[in-house]
Amino acid sequence: MNAMFKALGLGAIVLGASLSGAAAVERGGILTYARQADSRLLDPVYNQGNVNIWVLSSMYDTLILPTDDGKGLKPGLATNWQVSKDGLTVTLHLRDDIKFSDGTPITAEDVRWSLERAANPEHGIWNFMLGSIDNVEARDEKTILLHLKHTDPAILPALSVFNAAIMPEKQYEATKGASDEDKAKTFAQHPVGSGPFVLTTWERGSSMKLARNPHYWAKGEDGKPLPYLDGINFEIIPDDATRILKLQSGEIDGAEMIPYARVNELKQDPAVDMELFPSTRVQYVTLNVRPKLEGEKNPLFDLKVRQALNYAANKQAIIQIVTHGVGKPMTSFMSSGTPMQTGTKPLYPYDLAKAKALLKDAGYPDGFETSIMVIAGNQDEIGIATTLQQMWSQLGVKLDIQQVDDGTRDTVYRNGTFHMRLSVWTDDIADPSEFASYALYPPTIGALHTGWSNDKATKLFEASQQELDPKKRLEEYAQMQKIFNTSGPTVPLYETPYAVALSKNLHGFNQIPLGNNIFRWAWLSR
Amino acid sequence: MASLSFILRRILQMIPTILFILVVTFVLVRLLPGDPATVMLGDRGREADIARINAQLGLDKPLVVQFLYFIANVFSGNLGNSIALRVPVTTLLVERLPVTLLLTGMAAAIAVIFSVPLGFWAALRQNRASDTIIRGTFQVGLSMPVFYVGLLLLIFFGAHLHWFPIGGYGHGFGDHLYHLFLPAVTLALSLSAVLMRNLRSAILNVIDAEYVDFARSKGLRGYVILVRHVLRNAVISTVTLFGLQVGVLLGGAVITETVFAIPGAGRLMIDSIYGRDYPVIQGLTISLAIVVSLIFLATDLLQAWLDPRIMR
Repeated sequence: MNAMFKALGLGAIVLGASLSGAAAVERGGILTYARQADSRLLDPVYNQGNVNIWVLSSMYDTLILPTDDGKGLKPGLATNWQVSKDGLTVTLHLRDDIKFSDGTPITAEDVRWSLERAANPEHGIWNFMLGSIDNVEARDEKTILLHLKHTDPAILPALSVFNAAIMPEKQYEATKGASDEDKAKTFAQHPVGSGPFVLTTWERGSSMKLARNPHYWAKGEDGKPLPYLDGINFEIIPDDATRILKLQSGEIDGAEMIPYARVNELKQDPAVDMELFPSTRVQYVTLNVRPKLEGEKNPLFDLKVRQALNYAANKQAIIQIVTHGVGKPMTSFMSSGTPMQTGTKPLYPYDLAKAKALLKDAGYPDGFETSIMVIAGNQDEIGIATTLQQMWSQLGVKLDIQQVDDGTRDTVYRNGTFHMRLSVWTDDIADPSEFASYALYPPTIGALHTGWSNDKATKLFEASQQELDPKKRLEEYAQMQKIFNTSGPTVPLYETPYAVALSKNLHGFNQIPLGNNIFRWAWLSR
Repeated sequence: MASLSFILRRILQMIPTILFILVVTFVLVRLLPGDPATVMLGDRGREADIARINAQLGLDKPLVVQFLYFIANVFSGNLGNSIALRVPVTTLLVERLPVTLLLTGMAAAIAVIFSVPLGFWAALRQNRASDTIIRGTFQVGLSMPVFYVGLLLLIFFGAHLHWFPIGGYGHGFGDHLYHLFLPAVTLALSLSAVLMRNLRSAILNVIDAEYVDFARSKGLRGYVILVRHVLRNAVISTVTLFGLQVGVLLGGAVITETVFAIPGAGRLMIDSIYGRDYPVIQGLTISLAIVVSLIFLATDLLQAWLDPRIMR
């Protein structure tokens, strides 16, 4: 274990050095980072989306951490782990001398309690990722055993997801509240955490301040404990232009969610470090493929029609028009940053003649009328929809663009009465099973609520969920992707990175492909 | 005594108005497609999770039952908890409403400071160069969208000159005023234009009235005529307009608060509507309805003071 720890330390040094370049790190300082929207509930288990998830990793550590490429795993609060031969038991060993932000030790009992709380099907909406856990055993002070109901190839990556964060049992349970969720709300106001930073003040809708956790376990490249920063101030600035202006005038050190239209301009700005961090974000059109819609025959039910729409959509043109060249074509329905993505070349290269022939074959030589739902005021979505409208008009397809708000769209989508909608996906876990279960496994959400199903894909997915041999699982995923990419209910458009603008003084910051903002290595030069 | 009964009567009139607004809001937000759980969980939510969360929120009960609960709670001072933010609505109101009121108040004050003297000046210099310049300038101000004006002010006075901070709300009252100055000017711009033009034409109407000629023939001095006879009569319609426009200003604060990153009630309202956060929408609507009613009351009283015939 000692050797392992040294190896990790070395890894940390190499990584730290690679992120910061040749310069030696400087300690101290408060980093100000502008976010587009505020968090809502900073509880790992009950939170409901990215505004919370992307900062939770700064406040809570997991047993295992995702690697910076978002595809692999590295030690976190656990230094090493083994899966038993039958695949039904996972043994993890806790790191020595780990403490919560209030200085109390992180014990095996805290781990047992945290994981069982996260896996409880009554708690929140993320418990399914830990659904294979039957019970958790704290064998001794340093050893945790997960007893599984069935084999689960994604259990290790699942332990690196935000909801499997380690929290302090005693402090949490001492919080007032009638239910566990009530306690979570109260505890999240003044949390005691296991991550590199701890929340100090939060003015909702305006700012959130984090201070460094003096008890954090990881060491920096100078051999002293991380993080390098004294703290982080998150400022909420919803307007894109204002966020950028604040960065350019030096009032802040970083700004997230830069619109693609501004990326090239900011690359030219000598005061700004315009970063495009690799992501798992994919943008696609979701098609309702039920045989009938509103009592009439649905053209989108016909595979040839879907293929025609795919061939007639000029992805390169959309990438230029909407993302200003920042995006790249998709090679599978999953992002190229997702493990076991097997795509090699762009899907459905633009071919108008082929599209026309397919549509004629399908019995729609003169096209048909259909509609697409986009979020009102969302420039990306409106841009994509109008471009598609023009491209598909070449086939005689009349696309009616319906601008609605989120609530309206989600409801129509769930009812299964929509024709088309634009959709975005980002992975939360370094495993393909999350998106695959939503996209092609109907029991989860009816294959993106499209009514699509394929028996072979369903069987492959079920097998892959318990397959422990990585080679076989990869083969299953290759087949699933082939089926979905050639006959699925989507028009894949593009992948885009996370566009984040930083000041030249900020070093070592990273947003990993799963979206988590990693501040533990960040430092400010003066 | 007459004035006291007038005030009482007006306050009593507010109650049915606010109740009516409450019912309409309650029904309207629930008629929108979608519910809080659907929006919170987004694309990833599974049906069972959505049903479970809506049941926890009591949204599976009949609308009438929900409404009765709500009314009973309102009368015991409990506006419920925000569904999205998981905090009491009253906490949010205490945090957010003063921000918007301060912003609107500053904007209204700036608008009055600008428009009254300039309205006068323009009226007295009717159709001369200075009148045309004043009216032209305000016309431009009125025509420019708020987000555009806001951004221009930010770029020039914030990023270039560094006179004002770029967005935010600051800490402490003085700092708040400093942070709110540019957004207040942005908001005030269109209001000043409307007030200035209204006042100008009101003065032009009054100045030709016979009682002004009479005052003039009595030999009263120019400024006495202007303040005592012209202004007092001319501002009555402007005061009405001002009251109505301040209500509009509260609504206009939404965009200004977004551009300038001000954590006010306007932004909260928009987020809550998108999020179908029923308790917050209801709480904000009640509060804003009360504020607007009070502004109208103040306007009426001011008018009554200017023209006592109104009170009868």
